[in-house]
Amino acid sequence: MKTPDSTSTHEAWVLCLILGIIMLNFPFLQIFNTDRSIFGIPILIFYFFIGWPISILVIFLFVNRMQAKEPDKSRDEGHK
Amino acid sequence: MISPLIVTLVSIGYFALLFGVAYYADTRCNSGRSLINNPYIYSLSLGVYCTSWTFYGSVGLAATSGLDFLPIYLGPTLIAFTWWFLLRKMVRVSKDQNIVSIADFISSRYDRSSGLGALVTLISVLGIMPYIALQLKAVARTFDLLISPTTVAEVGLQDLFPVLPGYVDTAFVMALVLSLFGVLFGARHLDASERHEGLVAAIAFESIVKLIAFLAVGVFVTFGLFDGFGDIFNRFAQQFPERLSLFRLDTEAIPYTKWFTLTFASMMAIMFLPRQFHIMVTENADEKHIKEAMWRFPGYMFLLNIFVIPIALGGLLLNGGDTSQADYFVINLPLAAGHPWLALLVFIGGFSASAGMVMVSSITLSTMILNHLIMPLILRLNVNINDFSAILINLKRFGIFAVVFLGYFYYRVIGDSYALANMGLISFIAASQFAPAVIGGLYWKRANKKAALVGLILGFLFWFYTLLVPSFVLSGWMESSILDLGPFGIGLLRPLQLFGLTGFDIWSNSLFWTMFFNLGAFLALSFFCKQKSDEREHALLFVDAYAETQVPGQRRRISKAPTIMEFVELMSKFIGEKPANTAITAYLQDQEINSRGSMADHEVPALKAFTERTLAGYVGAAPAKIILDNYLSTRGSEMEDVFDIFGSVTLSRTASRDQLSVLYEAAKIVSRGSDLDKTLNGLLNLLMQQFRFDLCVIRFLDEQAMSLVVRAQMGMTSTHFGESERNLDRDTYIGTTFLSNTATVVNDTEYLDKLESAQIIHREKIQSFAHSPIIVEGEPVGVISAFSRTSKGIFTDEFIALLNNLARQVGIAWRNHQQLVKLLSAREQERDLEIAKTIQRSLLPAGIPELSNVDLAGICVPTHAVGGDYYDFIRRPNGALDLVVADVSGHNIGSALIMAETRTFIQAMRQIEHPYAMLDELNRFFCEDLSRADLFVTMFYLQYHPQTGQLLYANAGHNKPVLWRSQSGTCEMLDGDGLILGIKPDIDFEQRECILSIDDILVLYTDGVTEAEDHNEEFFGELRLCALIEEYHHLAATELIDQILEQIRIFTGNRHFIDDVTLVVMKVIHQNSLNIAAKQQTIK
Repeated sequence: MKTPDSTSTHEAWVLCLILGIIMLNFPFLQIFNTDRSIFGIPILIFYFFIGWPISILVIFLFVNRMQAKEPDKSRDEGHK
Repeated sequence: MISPLIVTLVSIGYFALLFGVAYYADTRCNSGRSLINNPYIYSLSLGVYCTSWTFYGSVGLAATSGLDFLPIYLGPTLIAFTWWFLLRKMVRVSKDQNIVSIADFISSRYDRSSGLGALVTLISVLGIMPYIALQLKAVARTFDLLISPTTVAEVGLQDLFPVLPGYVDTAFVMALVLSLFGVLFGARHLDASERHEGLVAAIAFESIVKLIAFLAVGVFVTFGLFDGFGDIFNRFAQQFPERLSLFRLDTEAIPYTKWFTLTFASMMAIMFLPRQFHIMVTENADEKHIKEAMWRFPGYMFLLNIFVIPIALGGLLLNGGDTSQADYFVINLPLAAGHPWLALLVFIGGFSASAGMVMVSSITLSTMILNHLIMPLILRLNVNINDFSAILINLKRFGIFAVVFLGYFYYRVIGDSYALANMGLISFIAASQFAPAVIGGLYWKRANKKAALVGLILGFLFWFYTLLVPSFVLSGWMESSILDLGPFGIGLLRPLQLFGLTGFDIWSNSLFWTMFFNLGAFLALSFFCKQKSDEREHALLFVDAYAETQVPGQRRRISKAPTIMEFVELMSKFIGEKPANTAITAYLQDQEINSRGSMADHEVPALKAFTERTLAGYVGAAPAKIILDNYLSTRGSEMEDVFDIFGSVTLSRTASRDQLSVLYEAAKIVSRGSDLDKTLNGLLNLLMQQFRFDLCVIRFLDEQAMSLVVRAQMGMTSTHFGESERNLDRDTYIGTTFLSNTATVVNDTEYLDKLESAQIIHREKIQSFAHSPIIVEGEPVGVISAFSRTSKGIFTDEFIALLNNLARQVGIAWRNHQQLVKLLSAREQERDLEIAKTIQRSLLPAGIPELSNVDLAGICVPTHAVGGDYYDFIRRPNGALDLVVADVSGHNIGSALIMAETRTFIQAMRQIEHPYAMLDELNRFFCEDLSRADLFVTMFYLQYHPQTGQLLYANAGHNKPVLWRSQSGTCEMLDGDGLILGIKPDIDFEQRECILSIDDILVLYTDGVTEAEDHNEEFFGELRLCALIEEYHHLAATELIDQILEQIRIFTGNRHFIDDVTLVVMKVIHQNSLNIAAKQQTIK
């Protein structure tokens, strides 16, 4: 692919990055920084280990959407 | 406790397996079915990020300080969001430029600076060598733990094999093995830009092994030793309620600032650690793999971290809260629980983590040291070696050993200390220093070499001062006073509270100050320092990495250029003959080579750039540049900017801007010049000034001669060459250019196919030339030509585009000129007409003479163009009245003047009694003037004697006047023989006469009346005129004229007459009848 992605995809990635940085830093983390726990697991740890796979899922969905937009490019991936 | 023999055997077996995997991958690669060219392997190979520091250290951190192991993985997950543009751009640029390492990347971006390359290498080595030591330590320590878990003291191989010399311990053997692996996988042959398929496959395999091992021990601890996650947390909460802060942030151990710092540093580390750069960028097989790795790699890290806290808590619970061995819980727990095979698996996993990191780092660092420290040195010293390639590969192999063993000695000398344990993070912050130079370099054109260099130096110095110095102090090798009181007792300079900034942990303090100075200097200097054109060109290769067209090198030429074979020889010297031949064959496939096997002049710089790029793949960008520069300078060849030949214009990637400026200048000249020759000379002057031509010529088509005639010329004084006309045929290049309406370029005049042109061109020693047609509204009107006596191959496509544009400007100037000429003549005519009109109007009688028995009226309706109509009344002393109507041919000042003369003549000659005599005199007087001016005059001359009613008249070819007889009620036409005035000098004019009676009406007119046309192009004619007079005979003379004019207008259907319309009406009346009419009017 020669051309860079459309600006909107580009911006969406940057937006996700900023959102991620906010959600993984003070003061957002302060919400979960308590002694409470869920299913016996401290709530902060619970937050990290739920939020993390969710962010991975977001990337996964995004990537898949990108691939759906350029189907032939992902197809020749295997035998190049 | 496991038998050392078993551990050794298993380890050796694992080495063999790894090597088998690598070997298999290499074989597959050679047979063209790459094993690693898929997103799974790529994603797994990124796992080299997770070293033994992760494998063992995460649990240790979780058990002692809490959640601060997490940011190390959360940061990379976050930065993965940017991979599709940031990482992909890095990969794209690196592939285009044959970049092989982070040092190469930064050096290439900033004008292939050797200084920057060396600096990055230095920082990397200092930052990472101890990190290697940490890996060796981990492997050695776990090996020892396996064979004698009870002994805390290091036993190592010494106890097992007492024959070994004293310095050989487990770590030494590991260092040896890992170096060997590095050489086998990474330095069997030289090309660094070629991917190391075996190495990547081995790394990916190791990533799987370490994941499986860690998951296995995690499941074992969580579900074997305990009853699931909840159970561990609950029991921990009960047993160590005072340690619940391990699950919290904002604690003494992990303030939010530290949390942020760790996240940021790991974001940078995953991108810019040399080994990460190598695996992610250099070893990337396909950009599309990035897309997959964006979620697979974070997923991998997530899996690797699920059990970190459970294992840590389990370890604490089982060890009674003792954290001294927390780093080895992973291996100790299965050992203590009596599962040595699981422990062995863990050991293999940990070994994998260490081995991967050590191999990749050592290969990368070795390449960097070779390319950026040793090569520039060798080249500077000008060592004369015929075959560099063998030396280079051996140097690289040696480098790998050197790096690993430096790590080993570091470990031996420094041992277990603060400095070693925290080396991971220290190197993360070191890698962060590359961020401004790399990211800024990728997205900011103005980022320049000086800025990157100063930024990196400052970042490095502050890194050293705020991290390494304190870690040395904490390890006890330096006076602690420097931390407490500052150097020389200056409190402001305390490394951990630099410049009085307190309240930060060591990492945040360091990151803040390094970034503050690094980024600050980078931004400020980029703003305030200018780039050289060369540097800018290289910057564009990075910033505009996705741009379709890249034409580097075209703006230059090489004097005394080496041939293709010489370039190949040069390459062979450094990379070996076979790779050199392969490379050049691939390159030449898409190049045009002329019949003599050499390349066009402007192709050579591209070949030079290719050679440099190829060499860069082996030795790095900066050394490649030095090699090429040295080579060319010893030959006496020089890279000349086209700037040198072409003046101030560079035809390159940035040419469009320069072209625009030339065209802008040209447009200014065109719009300024009113004089065509001045404009053309201005344009040629511009062309000569901007480009060093020997001759520039503009020819225009001479339509009568059907040849191209020189209109403007500048340069070379040879008259024959420039001045000669060119026939409009295809025998010359100029003729062809004109006829085909397309530009002609001859970059080497040794190859000419037009004999006529060739003769002239060879005589004038022209080396190259170009013609471009001057086109106006699609049609050629001329040709603009540029000739060079000095250089071949200077006419690039860009230049021709420029020349075509200039030709268009010339066309505009030419058209402007043509229009101007037309406009001027039109204006002149207009002024003429104005004068003529004024003259004409002044000639017409100012008033109607008052006569007692004649009702007179006359009118001349001039059209917008001047007419030659004229009428006049002349009263004679004897009471007679002369009537004249005349029409002078032509519509300009000349005819107006003739008319004026005629009038003057008639007025002056009123003593001539008879009309015929008057015409005769007039003709005699004017004949010569008129025939010389190609003019003639028609005239009807009458003389009326009111007393007698006698009318004498003579005609000089004028329209016959109408006489309406009141008695008969019919019209007569008056006529007399006679020619038009001005035809010949002697004409006999016949004079006739008749008697007018009361109420007779005489109407004189010009052809504007009878030749007025209607829509069907039918003339108004004399019959209609007669009918009109008959119908309106009762009207007074003025009214009759009005009526006639009105009827003509109705007839033509137009308010305006095409030609001048002149009417003179004379009605014979009683003296009394006029009075009666006047009286009647007053009564009414």
